Amino acid sequence: MSFFVHWRHPGTWKLFRLDDRLLLIIFGMIVGVCSGIASVALNRSLAAMLEWLHPFRHIWWGFLLPGLGAALSSIFLNKIMKEGAGHGVPEVIYSISRYRGLLRFRTSFSRLISSCLTIGSGGSAGPEAPVVISGAAIGSNIAKLFSLNDRQRVALVGCGAAGAISAIFNAPIAGMVFSMEVILNEWSAVNIIPVGIASVAGTEISRILQGNQIPFSHHQFNIGFLDITACLGLAIVTAIASILFSRMINYVHHRVDKVFLPAWVRAAVGGCVVGFLGFFLPVVLGEGYTPVRAAIEGTFTPGLAIVGLATLGKIVATALTLGSGGSGGIFAPCLVVGSFAGLTYHRALSLIWPHVAWTSEGCFALVGMAGLMSGVLQAPLTGIFLIVEVTGGYEVILPLIIVAAISTTICHYVEPASFYLQELVERGPIRRPRTDAGILANLSLKELVDKDCIRVTQTMLLRDFLQAIKESPNNCYPVEDEETGDFLGMISLDDIKPYLLRSEMYDAVPIGQIMDIGPVVASPDDDLSEILGRMEAQYLSAIPLVAKGKFIGMLAKATVLEHYRQELIAQTRHLKT
Amino acid sequence: MQRRLLHIFRNTPFGRETLLQSVYFCKKVKLELAIYIPEFAKFLMYFENDVVQVDLDRSYLTSPDTALMNASTIVGQGDLEAEFLEPKDFPASSLPALPINFDYMSCPRSISDRSSRIGFGHIGPKVRRLVNAARFPVLMPSSAYKEWHSVAVFFGGAADAITALRLGLHISTTCNMPLDIFTQVENDSRDTYGEAIKDSGLDGEVKNSVREWHRFEMGKLDDNLYAVPHDALVVFGTYGHHPLKQIFFGSKLERICAALPNNFLVVGPKHLART
Repeated sequence: MSFFVHWRHPGTWKLFRLDDRLLLIIFGMIVGVCSGIASVALNRSLAAMLEWLHPFRHIWWGFLLPGLGAALSSIFLNKIMKEGAGHGVPEVIYSISRYRGLLRFRTSFSRLISSCLTIGSGGSAGPEAPVVISGAAIGSNIAKLFSLNDRQRVALVGCGAAGAISAIFNAPIAGMVFSMEVILNEWSAVNIIPVGIASVAGTEISRILQGNQIPFSHHQFNIGFLDITACLGLAIVTAIASILFSRMINYVHHRVDKVFLPAWVRAAVGGCVVGFLGFFLPVVLGEGYTPVRAAIEGTFTPGLAIVGLATLGKIVATALTLGSGGSGGIFAPCLVVGSFAGLTYHRALSLIWPHVAWTSEGCFALVGMAGLMSGVLQAPLTGIFLIVEVTGGYEVILPLIIVAAISTTICHYVEPASFYLQELVERGPIRRPRTDAGILANLSLKELVDKDCIRVTQTMLLRDFLQAIKESPNNCYPVEDEETGDFLGMISLDDIKPYLLRSEMYDAVPIGQIMDIGPVVASPDDDLSEILGRMEAQYLSAIPLVAKGKFIGMLAKATVLEHYRQELIAQTRHLKT
Repeated sequence: MQRRLLHIFRNTPFGRETLLQSVYFCKKVKLELAIYIPEFAKFLMYFENDVVQVDLDRSYLTSPDTALMNASTIVGQGDLEAEFLEPKDFPASSLPALPINFDYMSCPRSISDRSSRIGFGHIGPKVRRLVNAARFPVLMPSSAYKEWHSVAVFFGGAADAITALRLGLHISTTCNMPLDIFTQVENDSRDTYGEAIKDSGLDGEVKNSVREWHRFEMGKLDDNLYAVPHDALVVFGTYGHHPLKQIFFGSKLERICAALPNNFLVVGPKHLART
């Protein structure tokens, strides 16, 4: 019987008491396997749906398909699963930032189905973000099932994301780097190990079930000094495309949100417009890996104008699909737009300097992909490692680094937050673990407030007040109404200084006359970081906490800092072991 | 800081009754009342190790323009002040997250399903999840407003029953109302229950505060429930059984709720006794 009681608390097992990292490694592997299966399931479903719907795309009403898929996806997500729609990755970051990685169980499969409907029907979106949120939710719910602690849960959320990306791209390093750089935003050894194990497990599952294939074939490129120099220009082009891409999605999203129509109708209209666009530019439909392959292999035949138009078309199609309420992510569209941007740039160079022997246009397409991904996600390492792994070659590493670094820098200058974080920043401060905001969010006002301070009334005479505070170490005292107990203001030692040497005033001055009637106060609902900001601005060492006109207690900066230090020690203890 | 009760307001006659009950509870137990008037048909509550999404039934969104006025009127009539919660966190655009730093929560027996099923003692799945995950006890008001004049604790001797008894004693002392204990003697001997109370250190308090301890050695639980006063606040603890176990073996909670029209205060397995 005791076995059944303890099986859900592996932290108490003898094996894991020796080293808690072992527990994370084993659970990381389990989460990686589950995320890998989720990725393969979505991949296979998408392939089947695309194949099934392919004959209908050439019929005149084929443009309705993406609209139908987006509408079904919206109905499924909002009416059946009752989830709020979203790209997926911001929700994962938000849950880590605010709720210690807690994610709902339904999230572990809902986005897989909804994104399959959106993308499979021709919507312009990627399947990566849905598998990331599914993997992360699997990690979170496994942690919940086994009653793991907050830190372990966050690590497993990272493992889920890593396993999913590794499996979908067959790229373990990219999965690991994505998880550490974008999801967890920290590079501690304690997390790298389970995340790495999850990446390996996810990749292996993908290889067992789908074979060891890389998404884009490997090519040899001869890259010269001129090509590397030209990459500086490509970095600027991809940065501009990245900014346009992010802003277009946000713009459409905000505009569509204001339209007074049911969510599924909005999604349907957006999908139909994408389908209509796809009639003229079929490359904008679906995840779009086929034209990317053609671009890398140098077999993408349309001319410069069409490629440029396709770049813009893909941006518009993705903005319409995701902004109108379709389900999916921006990973794949980033790769498509990046490859088209690279191709456009290469063809423009060849047009301007036809006699220069530039390297193959496929190389520029690859580098463009890394540039766009780095710019949009503001995660240069993810961009670099993903392209290196999915193409299976290191020849392009130098231009990759240059383009990714410059594109990220330019984008960061124009848009201080990455695409994923822009939405979250609008909702309030991001409280990453072990950051100021994260630590302060973990402190409760209840434990910080000092309720045992001396309270005085407005009718109290100065003599009585001096008598009352004779042995008190504090400088400020709350003044309350004698009858109602309402908070009236504060009296400090500075306020009574002018009267201290005039003892004749001791029995003539009531506290109500000399107190500060408009002190800066805090409310129990205020954020601690906000309260501290207020104290900093006014050079206060303590602030009264007032609720519904009643004084609750004093909040001293010294107490906050002491608890901050203790919380920081608690949060970083595992990093030292 | 003052203890608070969270109430999710439903702008319907049934919702009025439950709010009246919450107001009465707050006045008796000396709590502050926090009311959330839903703007969306769902909300999240992030507990220590679980996140519960409450999908409200559509009646919670009835006449949103009069909801605040109606709720304020009911609270005002009870001579109480209420804080109206406005969620700050939105994990998704139409999905607010409510804070969990409350000491009690008032919740009808079903929050996501049709309220007509309540008459059959049905406890909604979301209410079960809230009870299982929350650190605070959940007040399940009767279908119609009903004042209570005593506290009845169901005591089965286990850890959850001890927590319920502790809470019952606290409420009885705060409200200055008599407390009765009800025990359905099952496999254990009569003395086992007394020993459990002794082990928990509550024996002195039980001796001083309990009006009567009803120990039923004969008959079924359903038959013996008749002895529970109709105007008592019924307090009991629950383990939070797995749903499968509930399907196959039934739930004592549901049996009690089906038989008694009283107000219930249910203590879940995560409740921290802060009495």
